[in-house]
Amino acid sequence: MESTKKQYWKGLEELSKDPEFVKHADKEFSEYLPTNSELEETEAGSTRRDFLKLMGFGMAAVTLASCEAPIRKAIPYVNKPVDVDPGVANYYATTYNQGGDYASIVVKTREGRPIKIEGNKLSKITQGGTNAQIEASVLSLYDKERLAQPLKGGEATDWETLDAEVAAKLTDIAAKGGHIRLVSNTIMSPTALKAIEEFKAKFGNVELVQYDTQSAYGLSKAHKDIYGVAGVPSYHFDKADVIVSFDADFLGSWISPIEYSKGYAKTRKLGPKKKTMSRHYHFESNLSLTGANADYRTPIKPSEQGSAVVALYNEVAAKTGGTSVSGGGDFANVKKAAADLVKAKGKSLVVSGSNDPAIQTLIASINMALANFEKTITLNDYSNARKGDDAQMSNFMADAKAGRLDAVVFLSCNPVYNHSKGAELAESLKKVALTVSTSDRNDETASLVNYVAPNNHFLESWSDSEPKNGTFSLGQPTISPIFKTRQEQESLLSWAGNTTSYFDYLKNNWKENFSEGKEGLAFQSFWDKCLQDGIYETSKENFEINYTMSDDNQAAATIANNYKGDGFELALYQKVAIGDGSQANNPWLQETPDPITKGTWDNYVTVSLSDAKALGITEYEGKSIKVELTVNGASHKLPVVIQPGQAKGTLGLALGYGRKNGGKVANNLGFDANPLVGTLNGGAYFSVTTGVNLVATDEAYQVARTQTHQTYMDRGNIIQEASLKEYQKDPMAGREVPMIATWQDQEHGKVKATTLSLWKGHEYPDHHWGLAIDLNSCTGCSACHVACVAENNIPVVGRQEVINRRDMHWMRIDRYYSSNEEELAKTDGLVDRLAALDIASENPEVTFQPMMCQHCNNAGCETVCPVAATTHSTSGLNQMVYNRCIGTRYCANNCAYKVRRFNWFKYHDNEQFDMNSSMNNDLGKMVLNPDVTVRSRGVMEKCSMCVQRIQSGKLEAKKEDRRTNDADITTACASACPSDAIVFGDMNDDNSQLSQLLRIKNEEGDYGIDKQVNEERAYAVLEETGSKPNVLYLTKIRNTDKKESHA
Amino acid sequence: MTFGKNYLVGVFDDPDVILESIKSVRENGIKIHEIFSPHAIHGIDDYLGYKQSRLPIASFLFGITGASLALFTIIWMLGFDWPMIIGGKDFVSLPPFIPVTFEFTVLLAAHGMVLTFFIVSDLKPWAKPKVFDERCTDDKYIMAIDLGENKIAKDEINKVLSDTGASEVNEKNFK
Amino acid sequence: MQVSSPIREPLIHGGKTLHDVSEDICRQVEAKPSTAWKIGFVISLAALSIGAISVWVLLWDGIGVWGLNKTVGWAWDITNFVWWVGIGHAGTLISAVLLLFRQKWRMSINRAAEAMTIFAVICALMFPAFHMGRLWLGFYWALPLPNTFGSLWVNFNSPLLWDVFAISTYFTVSLVFWYVGLIPDFATIRDRAKNKISKAVYGGLAMGWIGGAKDWSRYESVSLILAGLATPLVLSVHTIVSMDFATSIIPGWHTTIFPPYFVAGAIFSGFAMVLTLMLVTRKLFKLEDYITIGHIELMNIVIIVTGSIVGIAYITEFFIAWYSGVPGEQYAFINRATGPYWWAYATMMTANVISPQLFWVKKIRTSIVSTFIISIIVNIGMWFERFVIVVTSIHRDFLPSSWAMFYPTIHDVGVYLFSFGFFFTCYLLFSKYFPVINIAEIKGILKSDGEKK
Repeated sequence: MESTKKQYWKGLEELSKDPEFVKHADKEFSEYLPTNSELEETEAGSTRRDFLKLMGFGMAAVTLASCEAPIRKAIPYVNKPVDVDPGVANYYATTYNQGGDYASIVVKTREGRPIKIEGNKLSKITQGGTNAQIEASVLSLYDKERLAQPLKGGEATDWETLDAEVAAKLTDIAAKGGHIRLVSNTIMSPTALKAIEEFKAKFGNVELVQYDTQSAYGLSKAHKDIYGVAGVPSYHFDKADVIVSFDADFLGSWISPIEYSKGYAKTRKLGPKKKTMSRHYHFESNLSLTGANADYRTPIKPSEQGSAVVALYNEVAAKTGGTSVSGGGDFANVKKAAADLVKAKGKSLVVSGSNDPAIQTLIASINMALANFEKTITLNDYSNARKGDDAQMSNFMADAKAGRLDAVVFLSCNPVYNHSKGAELAESLKKVALTVSTSDRNDETASLVNYVAPNNHFLESWSDSEPKNGTFSLGQPTISPIFKTRQEQESLLSWAGNTTSYFDYLKNNWKENFSEGKEGLAFQSFWDKCLQDGIYETSKENFEINYTMSDDNQAAATIANNYKGDGFELALYQKVAIGDGSQANNPWLQETPDPITKGTWDNYVTVSLSDAKALGITEYEGKSIKVELTVNGASHKLPVVIQPGQAKGTLGLALGYGRKNGGKVANNLGFDANPLVGTLNGGAYFSVTTGVNLVATDEAYQVARTQTHQTYMDRGNIIQEASLKEYQKDPMAGREVPMIATWQDQEHGKVKATTLSLWKGHEYPDHHWGLAIDLNSCTGCSACHVACVAENNIPVVGRQEVINRRDMHWMRIDRYYSSNEEELAKTDGLVDRLAALDIASENPEVTFQPMMCQHCNNAGCETVCPVAATTHSTSGLNQMVYNRCIGTRYCANNCAYKVRRFNWFKYHDNEQFDMNSSMNNDLGKMVLNPDVTVRSRGVMEKCSMCVQRIQSGKLEAKKEDRRTNDADITTACASACPSDAIVFGDMNDDNSQLSQLLRIKNEEGDYGIDKQVNEERAYAVLEETGSKPNVLYLTKIRNTDKKESHA
Repeated sequence: MTFGKNYLVGVFDDPDVILESIKSVRENGIKIHEIFSPHAIHGIDDYLGYKQSRLPIASFLFGITGASLALFTIIWMLGFDWPMIIGGKDFVSLPPFIPVTFEFTVLLAAHGMVLTFFIVSDLKPWAKPKVFDERCTDDKYIMAIDLGENKIAKDEINKVLSDTGASEVNEKNFK
Repeated sequence: MQVSSPIREPLIHGGKTLHDVSEDICRQVEAKPSTAWKIGFVISLAALSIGAISVWVLLWDGIGVWGLNKTVGWAWDITNFVWWVGIGHAGTLISAVLLLFRQKWRMSINRAAEAMTIFAVICALMFPAFHMGRLWLGFYWALPLPNTFGSLWVNFNSPLLWDVFAISTYFTVSLVFWYVGLIPDFATIRDRAKNKISKAVYGGLAMGWIGGAKDWSRYESVSLILAGLATPLVLSVHTIVSMDFATSIIPGWHTTIFPPYFVAGAIFSGFAMVLTLMLVTRKLFKLEDYITIGHIELMNIVIIVTGSIVGIAYITEFFIAWYSGVPGEQYAFINRATGPYWWAYATMMTANVISPQLFWVKKIRTSIVSTFIISIIVNIGMWFERFVIVVTSIHRDFLPSSWAMFYPTIHDVGVYLFSFGFFFTCYLLFSKYFPVINIAEIKGILKSDGEKK
């Protein structure tokens, strides 16, 4: 009998018993419900329960998150900008170009704030490298001591009045045919130059005077005179097998260090496929960064500069059948260098940092004799990095003094401070009717002029550059101007009566000159491409260079009667971080230790060991005295540092200090050495060779140094090094593998200490992050150091706290000198020997060792923390949980590498630390990385291997549903490194750059902590402690004939 | 006839004397309520026929509890509830757990026993003790005999006490 | 059973009766405080309040007010901690160990010694507390309490956590041990008390003790077992303290000899401190008959023995460093003796190894003055021992790049002063209001020896 119960079909499918329907009939939602697929338990799709679970979790998470968190106001966008998503970083390609220092960069912005500068890998010049000053420049953007509006006679005014008055004054000066000067550092921007041309055209008698705080006038003049090139040649260190440098600090401060480091490093890399490296001779007075990396270093006095070059010239001439010139002398390693150079004809390079055309002439001839042109030196793509003309500048000074000038406009330059005749200029400016400065702050020069038209920070500006002939680079603003400032080019244009915005001006210029006649859309896409890449290379047709011979006898003669020295000789230099002092108000740079002396917040006289002994200057645990330095009658009381490698009878002193109007941080730090700069053969001369004297005073003083012990005490478990010859024979050369005896001795002999462990260890099934650091290519330039500070919100603690040995840097660069052999020879017995090992040698071999958390797999710090605030992740990271930390400091004590840092005080929002400007004022705080906690007082902190970058990289990969690769993740230090010495990667991934470098082979399914590292050079510091670090170092190899005995 | 409990209190000057007296008193079949002395008299338990105190056993049991509780908790916390990689050690690695286990054992053993002692001896700050003779905390040795418990006549007991060297014999009555 | 040969000279002199004992010892509890006591108390209070300023600054500004740095993370804080703990141990050892060994001479000194233990341990506890960067969280995060952090537990692998358990156990157990001993004496005072208040107070403290035979027998077994527990406890506590260093990897810390060597050191410094205090108390409260030259001599002998053990430990360390052939290890020890902190090492050597040897001479051993002086020297020496171990080991460890010096600041001194002020304030209060000698026990031994003819 048929059932009378009515049945309602859900649809025809039910009636027809459609299998697809039947399958889902029991489900509430028959189709797939788009909820978060990450959390799906079964592939059956999400149910309402899942949704509720998620919602519940969300609620709970939010509620928990709200616990203990202070209430903060977050104002949402009214109209959200298209490309700004809260929490998502944007990257813009732009250009760093300050007084001829150039780098193509990529700027990371968060919620519209630039917070980090990375190198632009597309650039053929800087190749993705940066340096300390560039990394730090993002903080200068948020310097609250920049001018907030134009000034008139020191009083705040507005742009309208300023423009009106300046324009008017310029016009009637022009009408009277008065002399107008534009003073500036090197300008390498074609469009800026165009704007200046327009300015000139408007006001007639206008002259652009360019000068450089680190002048290469001699170099460019020599090449202009001989080969008619309008710039400095571009050097290709990557092609050089033998490099000889006379006082050219090309890795630190000479012309284009990033470019040179990239090239130099390529020649220093070693591996199973490449067992050769360049040989580097260096002749200098102060121990410079470059000198520290040299294989053979000869200390010479500044007055011997010329004769040393002549000596080499003659040696080379003798070997290449050239004629020798008069002069010269006997210097260690010159013969050897000459021999190597000639052997490497065409693959060698001789450079000199001298600013004397005569010397540069000889250098050019040496390179000519070695057939290096068109190979390691090219002139077609000459560099615009140094266009300063010292002769022209001194003419300007003379004119100003004589009152021949009617108007001077200083384009963001500060000659009153950083030119030797600054004081004189300060006087002469009174005689000039109209003086204008476009400086971003009321600095030494700006405070003396009638009008200050403050320039934007470069991160607020449009710009273009031509670093090398035919290579261009675009700069775009990454934030709208913070203050009422204006780009100096726009100022010039508006005074010249051209009211187009600089952006349009720039774009038009590119349209006319670079786009090869592209129009409309074509041009737009060309423009967008350039803007996105940040760089643009044209194929400019090579111009003909006639390689005429120069008059070397003449040059030699000039040298002979120019260089005299008696008594002490003073050699002035620029520090890697502070440079010429234009960024002196940047606390990150002030606290960046000098790579060589490890000194911060100060400049000081560096004295050689033997001179110190003679003068009775001593140093104990960083404590020393002040000395009285007398230069041409005037004497100054200065701090002193005893400097191994300093040439006997010479003194070193850094420029860039002693600012008067630099800002709260910069002012009255150290001593202003600019007035000591002299002139020689037309160019600025950065040495004083006569009338210098030094005496010790009894005034105690301590330079704030982050490292007070200079040698590594011959501890092979820290630094492992060998000579190239040894390495070629045996890749294991210099390695110290700790062996240990076991009860099985008889059968097996000793076993590797690292193979013994109490614990069976944990598996890292997914990733196993690690770092490899090549001691051979690390130059110690400190770019990584500052990058780390910027990335991880590391506080600045100030001079006194550095003296108290409380610097907070997560990453430091340990600098070790070789111990003094003579002292060691004298000793007998362990006690004497250890004492002697502590003494550095007179002209030491130097090793740089970047040191950060080693992320030990068996970490001492983790075991001892009572509250488990530091534990290990399942991908090999040693994690520090700030929130859990109660600050017992036990972990720091038990860290063999002493890389943990404790928050002794509250460094943020604390006027006691107002020099820490990135955490103590609202503007400065804009630079903080929102992905990294600002640590509170009383907690421990340390290198996290940029875990925030790892996480975001993993997210990127996850979105694309794939495994991470090298492109996704790199640490701040690794990406900054201009010599690619630091490599980050996943040791579980055989294809990662790191695994390739260390030649790691993973057996399938075995992802334990003990990796099979097949690269012979790779070693872990303090291997024998069994800490099993995830940071490995590659042995230091020196290209010397024999390994200098380190006792 | 007085109400409440009546006691006969023998006061002695010397521990040895009171020991002797205890002997003869008990031989006479007299039940002793309790002996009070300014210090512990060794061997008195045997004279009074007291059993050895069972506090040591209590202490031992507390100790065992402490040990097992500590070890279990630690292993559960680090090994199962929230395992964390710490210094590359195994999640449950016994050696480091021993010190805490030991300390906790001692903690429970000591405090448990003392607490038990306070309870069984009825020691508490607000206690109102039956003081038979104030001098028993100074220099006298007191023998208290509950007349209610003894069939023997009061003066007979009195006699025994004074014969065995009690310097004085008083009566005490607690309401 | 208490047996003692008639030829042994009596422990208590002057032929005391039971009543005399109560009289002598309760006197200073019942009488008005003496001027000497008042002066002492005022000085201690002054030290306490001056030190309190440093403590305040420390907690308000941060650990930075101390002289520590990135290399030397511990200095005076942990030095003082170990030093105070060491001192504390003597009390327990005297009462517990000597009780187990039936050493009756302990009885005149154990009460004061135990009191000293308790106050010393509190002082010790201050430093791990103050040295924390975030005390306000640390004081309870260091305990395995259920919490809202996803039931995040403490790290039982950490020696510092072992300390938390060891010290707290040690403190509470010694406290109980001491109190149980006090109960009968409180009863004595209660029954002697004239005015209502003290009757009530001491009555409360006595918890209704009337000295029944049953209670006495329980009392006896309780103190015996507590002694049995306290003995391994006291050894374990200093062993664990030494493990703070022994289980680390720092050369000069990572040493298996530490546990026995620390325990010996503890007894050494503890006995010295007991002597210092007893000699003062003895004079102050005229207890010459109870704390005799005999006692002092016996303790001096203990000091010779432990002092020599410590000396041997120092030498052994050097031998092992040389024998190990590990450069870091060798440097650590040579640096101790010849490095920038050689003077600390020299002080330690003379004070701890040389000075106690003087006690071989009976004249010195039995002279109050020399004992007093040496006992203080020893305590200075033991402070420097801890300083040498803590600071000179870490200030130059593995990487020469981070070698640094430690210079104490005024606040390092201030906080140390605070602990002294606290200790003596407590000790003086105790000696005024509590019986400084165990009345009941003394009475117990009056009969067995020193009987009056």
